[in-house]
Amino acid sequence: MPENGKLFKPLDPLLHSELRLAVMSILLDAGSADFVYLKAETGATSGNLSVQLDKLQQAGYIEVTKGFKGKMPQTVCRITDEGRNAFANYVEALRSYISSGNR
Amino acid sequence: MENNFSAENSLRLITETIERSRRTMAKNSGKPMILWGSLVAATSIVIWALWTKTGTPMWNLLWFAMSALGGIFTHQLTRNREKVPATEISRILGKVWMWFGIFATGFYVLLWVVALIRYAAHIDGVVTVEMTMLLTMMMGLCGAISGSVMNCKTVSACSVVATALSVIFVLLVPDGSPLQILTFLILGVFALIIPGVILQRKANA
Repeated sequence: MPENGKLFKPLDPLLHSELRLAVMSILLDAGSADFVYLKAETGATSGNLSVQLDKLQQAGYIEVTKGFKGKMPQTVCRITDEGRNAFANYVEALRSYISSGNR
Repeated sequence: MENNFSAENSLRLITETIERSRRTMAKNSGKPMILWGSLVAATSIVIWALWTKTGTPMWNLLWFAMSALGGIFTHQLTRNREKVPATEISRILGKVWMWFGIFATGFYVLLWVVALIRYAAHIDGVVTVEMTMLLTMMMGLCGAISGSVMNCKTVSACSVVATALSVIFVLLVPDGSPLQILTFLILGVFALIIPGVILQRKANA
């Protein structure tokens, strides 16, 4: 337990997943990115990535817009303010785990 | 997906993903600077040569043609790039240089409008505006800001050196001489081409 006697902050289970965390990390830095870019950067399969993006969208962490760029279909994912807050809380929780582990 | 990774691994994953993504996004980031630097340098040489030969400063209107050409080339460059998202940094840089373009073009147009008004209203007297110096300072300032935003001291240093050299050059060259336009050759090379090459090498390393 941390020094102040409070319990550890719970880790957001939605973010505590490798692929979803990687997606959120990219979106946090870039603001928005298209499906093709996310797939290339995470090395995920299209099916798996779609499922994880859907979960993040349902949680309100990202917005997904489907459209066209020229004649090609394009899916753009954008991080929301809620997603940014959730990510910040998640990182803060991780830090508290690590710092208490180092004591 | 697996949920059994430690806090340390989570933080490492976040750091590595962001770093990898930034490297991808930084690819070719120097190319627009090299492109615009080359255009500015080449245009200044062409204007200097034509101005010297014909004696008319009207060749300065070629800057508008350069802007249009640069816009087309930049569009081609962006279109041919991989599907890389824009970062907050690239958005800020885009806005900094967009405002430079608006101020430079707007100022030039405004001078023409005022000149026409003065002509139409038969207002006598000569007003001297040190346009080259003003644009030099603005371009150097935008370059230095860009370097700070990118956290690249070399880019900022190049802009400061370019601006200092350009200002010295403008002050040494006789007023109204076509040679003054070559200050943009110095700016193009030192404030755009050299930092662009440095960024490109850094991104592709």
